[in-house]
Amino acid sequence: MEALGRILLVEDDPKDVELTLTALDEYNLANEVVVAGDGEQALDFLYYRGNFMRRARENPAVLLLDLKLPKVDGLEVLKQIKGDENLKMIPVVVLTSSHEEKDMVASYELGVNAYVVKPVDFHEFVNAIKELGVFWAVINEPPPGSIRKK
Amino acid sequence: MHLQRYGLAVLSVAVALGAALLLQHFQFRDAAVPLLLFAGAVSSWYGGQGPAVLTVLLSLMGFAYFFVPPIYSLRVAPSELPYFIIFASFTSLITWFATIRRRVEADLRQARDKLEIEVAQRTQQASLLDLTHDTIFVRDINGVITYWNRGAEEFYGWTQKEAIGKRPADLLHTVFPKPFEEIWDELRQTDRWEGELTHTKADGVQVIVASRWSLQRDQQRRPVAILETGNDITARKSWEEEMQALNQELAKRSIALEATNKELEAFAYSISHDLRAPLRHTAGFAELLSKSAASSLNEKSQRYLAMILEAAKRMGNLIDDLLAFSRISRAEAHNSAVSLQQLVQEAVAEVRQDAKGRKIVWKIDPLPEWYGDRSMLRLALVNLISNAVKFSRTRTQAKIEIGCTEHKSDHVVLFVRDNGVGFDMKYSNKLFGVFQRLHPQEAFEGTGIGLATVQRIVHRHGGRVWAEGAVNGGATFYFSLSKITGAN
Repeated sequence: MEALGRILLVEDDPKDVELTLTALDEYNLANEVVVAGDGEQALDFLYYRGNFMRRARENPAVLLLDLKLPKVDGLEVLKQIKGDENLKMIPVVVLTSSHEEKDMVASYELGVNAYVVKPVDFHEFVNAIKELGVFWAVINEPPPGSIRKK
Repeated sequence: MHLQRYGLAVLSVAVALGAALLLQHFQFRDAAVPLLLFAGAVSSWYGGQGPAVLTVLLSLMGFAYFFVPPIYSLRVAPSELPYFIIFASFTSLITWFATIRRRVEADLRQARDKLEIEVAQRTQQASLLDLTHDTIFVRDINGVITYWNRGAEEFYGWTQKEAIGKRPADLLHTVFPKPFEEIWDELRQTDRWEGELTHTKADGVQVIVASRWSLQRDQQRRPVAILETGNDITARKSWEEEMQALNQELAKRSIALEATNKELEAFAYSISHDLRAPLRHTAGFAELLSKSAASSLNEKSQRYLAMILEAAKRMGNLIDDLLAFSRISRAEAHNSAVSLQQLVQEAVAEVRQDAKGRKIVWKIDPLPEWYGDRSMLRLALVNLISNAVKFSRTRTQAKIEIGCTEHKSDHVVLFVRDNGVGFDMKYSNKLFGVFQRLHPQEAFEGTGIGLATVQRIVHRHGGRVWAEGAVNGGATFYFSLSKITGAN
């Protein structure tokens, strides 16, 4: 079944991807997720380039963004999204391993919608991801132009 | 004075007349006129204008009375008048000359007095110039020293006698900061010049002098002399050079330090990111495994999984603490006025959250206002207080006391005391090292970073931290804080 793409997960580590998908699956949200392995892929998705040339002209309902990414890093992706008229309304949640304050400050300065540090503890991690998924993909009313729930 | 002068006039006329009469008596005729002229000359020479006029009048009267017929009468025959007029003119001439002489003499005397006053003033000024420690000398327009004050004598080691008449450049081996012609040009245009000169003293020692030159001009605005004032800046110069060298060294070091700091930051960032991810995976997949294989795993295997999870969690805590510890060194201190009392209360409130159900007697003494980085000081207090709570866990009634033993204007000493398990004083030097622990993990959990963090914070506040304790006799941790202002 093709992913609906309401959640764009930008994460380079396949283990983190798997853990995140496992957590989201508890609420049957896993099939909503499109995974981008680096910042460039994420931008390709958003701008309908490369592999994503033919996808529907709609924005994801939420973007879960890791900061440390190959090629184009998370802060750069965030900067481009928030600087683009068509993309800036997409809710972006930074999902990072880092407690670094300067990353947090930089993210908020760029206009991030939420900033979440991935807990080491698995239960906490699962809870955090589930809550995020449920809130942004289910509870939150996405901005106009977003992919709708089916 | 007047009486004397006029008396002299009368007397001289009387003497001249007397002598003339006496000479006439001995048949010397016509001696009266030259004698009276002589009297006129004497009285005008010594007596001045008034007595001279009186002398002329008396002479004329005496001459008319005694020598011009009719004798013994003031009447004068008209035939004798030209004689009288010539006599009067002649005496007037003498009087006039005498008057001029007197005036010249008076002028001279006045000029001399003025000169004397001026000399006195100049001498006084010159001796004032001798009072200063600055070197002052004057060179005339040919470059020859004409004045050399005592300051110059003492400083350069040449006496006034030795210096006057020499050229400063020859005497002092002056090294100019730029060609002399340029200095001279500036001096001519602005009448002054300032600069640093290198001079060599009589004993051969080179000195650096801050020299100020002023050009003196005559009434026609022609340069006549240069006044040079100087003071010794050799010590200041060498101090400045030393400072400069030190500053350069400091700049080099701070660049190196900055580079190290950057590296450290990158390192910490990398740890924070890359080390936590595998941990999360270990914990995550172990958890997933225990869930998916729960039914097929025996108790032993499940315990292994639990231990993997526990180890991962502990590693996570260690990384977090270590990062927090390294952040203290990297972070800039934001110093402000802080109420230590309030900080302690906040720290206690935070620690109590984790100590619910415990029976703890708190005793908090009044604490002063201080100056420092609020969040760092708070972290230090939280660490110390949570240690006190942790190590008094075995007591049925824990007692924790926080107070202040010293409060001076430049430093304070605070302490946190508990009645817990304490420690052996012979290990007290190990208390504040990173990862140093005096208790087994099973008895008291911890990463061994808390006290190292406290020490680093205290050091950043210009203080020190130390502890007193005994096995099972409780522990007291003291720390001092200096009054730091601004940059750290």
